[in-house]
Amino acid sequence: MAQSTADTPRTRAGQVEPTAIWQPRLVGFLCNWCSFAGADMAGTSRLTYPAAIRIIRVPCTGRVDPLFVAKAFQRGADGVLVAGCHPGDCHYAEGNYYMRRRYVLLRDLLEFLGIERERFHLEWVSASEGKKFARVVSEFTSQVAALGPREPPRQGPTELEAGTSNE
Amino acid sequence: MSDLVTGIRAQVRDLLARRRVEYVVGYETGSDGVNARPFFAYTTEEADRLVFDNTCTHNLTKYLVEPERRGSTIGVVVKPCDARSLTVLLAEHKFPRDVVAIGVVCPGIVQRTREGGDGEAPQARCQVCDQHTPPACDILVGEATAEGPVLDQFARLAPLEAQSAAERSAFWSQQFERCLRCYACRQTCPQCYCDECFAEALDPEWVGVRIGRAENWLFHAIRCFHLAGRCIGCDECERVCPVKIPLGLLNRKLRKEVLDRFEYRAGTRSDERPPLETFRKEEKLDLA
Ligand code: SF4
Ligand code: SF4
Ligand code: SF4
Repeated sequence: MAQSTADTPRTRAGQVEPTAIWQPRLVGFLCNWCSFAGADMAGTSRLTYPAAIRIIRVPCTGRVDPLFVAKAFQRGADGVLVAGCHPGDCHYAEGNYYMRRRYVLLRDLLEFLGIERERFHLEWVSASEGKKFARVVSEFTSQVAALGPREPPRQGPTELEAGTSNE
Repeated sequence: MSDLVTGIRAQVRDLLARRRVEYVVGYETGSDGVNARPFFAYTTEEADRLVFDNTCTHNLTKYLVEPERRGSTIGVVVKPCDARSLTVLLAEHKFPRDVVAIGVVCPGIVQRTREGGDGEAPQARCQVCDQHTPPACDILVGEATAEGPVLDQFARLAPLEAQSAAERSAFWSQQFERCLRCYACRQTCPQCYCDECFAEALDPEWVGVRIGRAENWLFHAIRCFHLAGRCIGCDECERVCPVKIPLGLLNRKLRKEVLDRFEYRAGTRSDERPPLETFRKEEKLDLA
């Protein structure tokens, strides 16, 4: 039931057990050449992995703008996975090296803003690693599920817009 | 008149008389008779309006990146921290090398509050400053001093770092709640110079024009990240914020991680690539 995630009342982080009803909402940015093909491989090998992840294909992990990740969290993602070619195997030679540095700093910043580091994960998955892909998604899903739903930056107007601090 | 002021005026008169520069961006005393404000000196007479004291808080390198100034030869008065901006901007090719930097030995800048009651306490950045003599300037005004010990710039982070993620999240929600998205923090930062800022981009509309909680959060997360490895720590963004959002905490956090992970401090060396513009193949960082 696709609706269930949005409709399940959210309680405070850490208080929700991963249940049949609550599934974390995950976003996965997969590079076209390795990890997306790896996901494909997982599919054609009929491996199962949690369906909580929404996959977005990018040409390279180097294309993953921090804005993509922050936007996913802003819109209520409980976790974000970035996966691409192993170091040394990048289709564009070095995109994943740049991503690696960007990732560690972005994770530091997000953690400081109150998003646990376990919710943002970088993994190298090659085109032939269908099994690894399924395992990574399963592990990441349970890792995020264990943290519980994230309280996204609340939608809605600020106090200012609502007029309370106009007095 | 202090020696610094005499020194600056003499140097600027000379630069203008020789037509080495078209004009010099410096400070003059503002209309309140106390606090300095930016001033553009085009003539040798105007050079005599220049001042320098412990109210010269602005980072004047901001003016150099304005598009309409490209193509002019400009002189600029810089404190040591402003000189770090200059190094970052030169490495990013924001203006030609023929800008003339007039570096001033900095006595420290005092805090000023809008509410009045101006104390003489040094600003937070000045309390932990370990560079009072400007590095790599074309002209040096003032006596170079021996630098004191390197102080802990990051002490202010500890209480927040000790909290849980949920507590920090709540803390920042409260802070960002007040943000008016006036963008003063962006406008004052010399390293924030994009012709089109992501915060105002409409296609795609990343942030959204509404001043709402979610929009404010995204603006702050990315504004800060765009300064990763580029922020020189002048705290001007925090100073100009009309609702006192502690942006200095966010910037400090990234400066700390950049220093710890990459031993890099923005603007202190011109022979190093900024950390996000380069990589080392063999580095593992703390990943598997
Ligand atoms: S200066 Fe303050 S209120 Fe204005 S956009 Fe920046 S943080 Fe928000
Ligand atoms: S916040 Fe980012 S996009 Fe906006 S001006 Fe600064 S560097 Fe550019
Ligand atoms: S402290 Fe603020 S204004 Fe100064 S360089 Fe850093 S982000 Fe820019």
